[in-house]
Amino acid sequence: MIVLLTALAGAAGASLRWGLGLFFSRWWQQSSIPLPMLIVNLLGSFGLGLFLSSWAGTIPFDAYDDPVFSAVGVGFFGAFTTFSTFSVEAVTLLQEKKVMPFLWYTALSLIGSLGAFILGYLM
Amino acid sequence: MYVKQCLAVAAGGALGTLLRYGINLLLLPTGMPVGTVMENTAGSFLLGLLTGWLLTRSVPSWVKAGAGAGFCGGFTTMSTLASDTILLSAESAAAPLLYVTVSLFGGLCAAAAGMLTGWKLSSREVTS
Repeated sequence: MIVLLTALAGAAGASLRWGLGLFFSRWWQQSSIPLPMLIVNLLGSFGLGLFLSSWAGTIPFDAYDDPVFSAVGVGFFGAFTTFSTFSVEAVTLLQEKKVMPFLWYTALSLIGSLGAFILGYLM
Repeated sequence: MYVKQCLAVAAGGALGTLLRYGINLLLLPTGMPVGTVMENTAGSFLLGLLTGWLLTRSVPSWVKAGAGAGFCGGFTTMSTLASDTILLSAESAAAPLLYVTVSLFGGLCAAAAGMLTGWKLSSREVTS
């Protein structure tokens, strides 16, 4: 049951990420860094922080037998945000010798996601 | 066309999420959030491989979306990386720093290795 819920929530998170990526991609043309997944990762990290503080009041480590944590935290927000697209996009920037955009994109993604998570958690 | 792609992303996302959930569950006894690092590294390699390999191939767009945005996207995660980092900051000052550094360099190297392998595979197929 938990497994099914988590998979369904993951499907929802992944589709929403894909849809938002399409929607945000119109802004990418004008920017030097790939904005769509950066925005999605910031939103999702903020959302996970908000969810964990309001639902658990803490960051649970081994709550995988809890259906709400598994579905919302691991499934939905886990699949909504992505790391693989980030690393491939970052390497592509580096390969195109866009060093400054690479540094900005990497720093904004990592520090930004951490900051967004903390912000959501403290709200 | 978008409907087919979206369904493929949902299916791939469900599979990726299941695998990530299962690995995390298996690694719980270690008492360390190592699962996400492994998933992010492996997923980065796979997406790099797909990106490099599919560059020269005419594969239906729903297959690309399902495997890339769906499976690799659902298998890897940035939000859990953020929460694991904050979780580890309760342990020591070095733990979260190590966690982020390994995640970042592991992911970037894996993506680069995947893309190189993908290009090699596709150029071999083109020349032969």
